[in-house]
Amino acid sequence: MALVLLVFFAGLLGHLLWHGAAGLSWELFTAPPRHAGRDGGIAPILVSTGLILGVCMVTALPFGLGTAVLLAEVTQRRSWTGEFVRRSLDTLAGVPSIVFGLFGNAFFCVTLGLGFSIMSGGLTLACMVLPILIRTAEEGLRAVPREYRLAAAALGFSHASTVCQLLLPAAVPALLAGFILGLGRAMAETAALIFTSGYVDRMPASLWDSGRALSIHIYDLSMHVPGGDGRAYASALVLIGLLLVINAGAMWAGRRLTAQWILVA
Amino acid sequence: MNAGRAWIPLLLVLAATAGCGDSPDARQPLTKLSITGSSTMAPLIAAIGKRFERRHPGVRIDVQTGGSSRGVADTRSGLAHIGMVSRALRALEQRDLVGTPVARDGIGLIVHNTNPVGALTPRQVVALYTGGMTTWRPVSGKDASVVVVNKAEGRATLELFLKYFHLTNAEIRADVIIGDNEQGIKFVAGNPHAIGYVSNGAAEYALRHEVPIKRLPLTTASAPPAAGHPAPSPLARPLTLVTTRRPPALAQAFIAFAASSHVHDLVAAHYFVPLAA
Repeated sequence: MALVLLVFFAGLLGHLLWHGAAGLSWELFTAPPRHAGRDGGIAPILVSTGLILGVCMVTALPFGLGTAVLLAEVTQRRSWTGEFVRRSLDTLAGVPSIVFGLFGNAFFCVTLGLGFSIMSGGLTLACMVLPILIRTAEEGLRAVPREYRLAAAALGFSHASTVCQLLLPAAVPALLAGFILGLGRAMAETAALIFTSGYVDRMPASLWDSGRALSIHIYDLSMHVPGGDGRAYASALVLIGLLLVINAGAMWAGRRLTAQWILVA
Repeated sequence: MNAGRAWIPLLLVLAATAGCGDSPDARQPLTKLSITGSSTMAPLIAAIGKRFERRHPGVRIDVQTGGSSRGVADTRSGLAHIGMVSRALRALEQRDLVGTPVARDGIGLIVHNTNPVGALTPRQVVALYTGGMTTWRPVSGKDASVVVVNKAEGRATLELFLKYFHLTNAEIRADVIIGDNEQGIKFVAGNPHAIGYVSNGAAEYALRHEVPIKRLPLTTASAPPAAGHPAPSPLARPLTLVTTRRPPALAQAFIAFAASSHVHDLVAAHYFVPLAA
C-alpha cells in the first residue's frame, strides 16, 4: 500500500518535472508575468501568496491556540459547550472551500468593505484552516501525559502557568503538525481565494491590494490562457517545492524546539 | 506563549484599519478601476488594463473573474465599476446597465482529430445533444458511443449554443459538464468519441499548437462550407463591457480605450476578433 502511494507521488512529481522543469529559470522568480502569464515570471504572485498566507496564519494561530486550550484544558471533555464547539468545528472542516470563498466575498469584501484584497483572502483562509488548526492542537494537548498535570499541580503551579509553561511546549510537535496541515491547505487553495484576494497579477503595494495566489495563477493559466500550460507546470512545480520546503522546515523546527524544551526542563 | 501575546496588539491594529480598503463608491478622485466578470474576457481585459495603466500613470486597473453573471451582479451592487459579460446584454439588463462591445468571439464545435465525421447539420447537432443520436454511425462515423460535452449553467457559451439551436438546457443529455474553454479542449483532445463546443479563439490556438482536435463546420442547405476554410461562425458573441447608467469618467475612458483600434493587436493576440474600426 505504501509502495503504491510512493509510486503515485513519484509519478506526479515526475510528470510535473517533465513538463515544468524547462520553464524553471531565474526569470521565473524575479520577473512579473507578461502576455497574460504565458511569458515572464511569477514574482508578484509569490509575494501575494506569501502575504495571503501571512495574514491567514497571523489571524488563525492565536484564535486556534486559544480555542484548543479552551477545549482541551478548560471545558470538561463531555461538557455540552465543548461538544457543541467540537461538532461545529468538524462540520466546518468539511465545508467545501468555495462556500468559504462566497462567505468571504460577502462578509470581508462587501460587508466589511475590504474589497478584493490580500486582507480579504487571508482572513477567508483563516476561517477555513481554523477547524484543522484547532482540532490537531486540541488532540496534541490531550496527548500530553496526565502525569505532567499532576506534577504541576503538586508543585503548586497555577492552571495558567501549567498551560503556558508545560502543556503548550510539550505539545509543540502536534501544534506544528496542525500548522503545516493548515498552511498546506491554505497554500493549495483556489476556490476560496478567487472571489476574495482576486486575480490581479501586479506586485501588491499593501495588504489592501488585490493579489493573485500561486494556485489561482496555475488554474488561470491552464484553464483560460491558451498556451499557458508551460508556465502553469513551472508554477505548479514551484508550489510543490514550497510545500516540501515548508514541511521540512517545520519538521526541523519541531525537533529543535522539542530538544530545547527538554534541555530547559 | 509570549509570542502568542504579541499577536494581540497586531490583531487590534488589523481590526482598527479594517475599514480602510478602497471600495468603488469611495468619494475621492478615482484612481483604481475594479473590473469583474467573464473568465473568457479576463486575460484580454487585464492585458488592455496594463496598456491603459502605462498611458495613465497613477491609475490602476484591477481585473477579477467569476463569470458573466458575476460581472452583471457586481456592477449592479457597486462592487465593480465595470463588468465583463461575454454575450450581448439581455433586455432586462439593459434597463439599468449600458453595454459596449469590445471584440467578438465565435463558438465552434470540436471533435477529436481522429473522428472521421466531416461536418454536421444543425439538425444532427440537436440530435447528438438531445440523445436522438447516441453513436457516430448515422453521420458516417465510427460505431462508438458519442460523449456529449456540455457547458455549465451560467456560461455565456452555453446560452448562445442553446439559443442558436433552439434548445433548453433540460433537453440536453450531456455526459460531461465542463466550465472553461480550455477544459473542453483538453477533454475532447483526450477522448476520441467526444463532441464539444468552445470559443473559436481557444480552439484556434489549440489547433496551431498541435492539440489533437479538429473543428467541425456546420453545414446549412444554402451555404456548404468551403474546403479547409470553415465558414465564419454564425455562433458568435460580442465580448461586452458593462457599466451602470452613470459610470465614473475613468471607467468611460477605459471602455473607450478598450473599444478603440489601439488594442486590436491585443485582441488578436488573445485569439478574438477585433471589431471593425
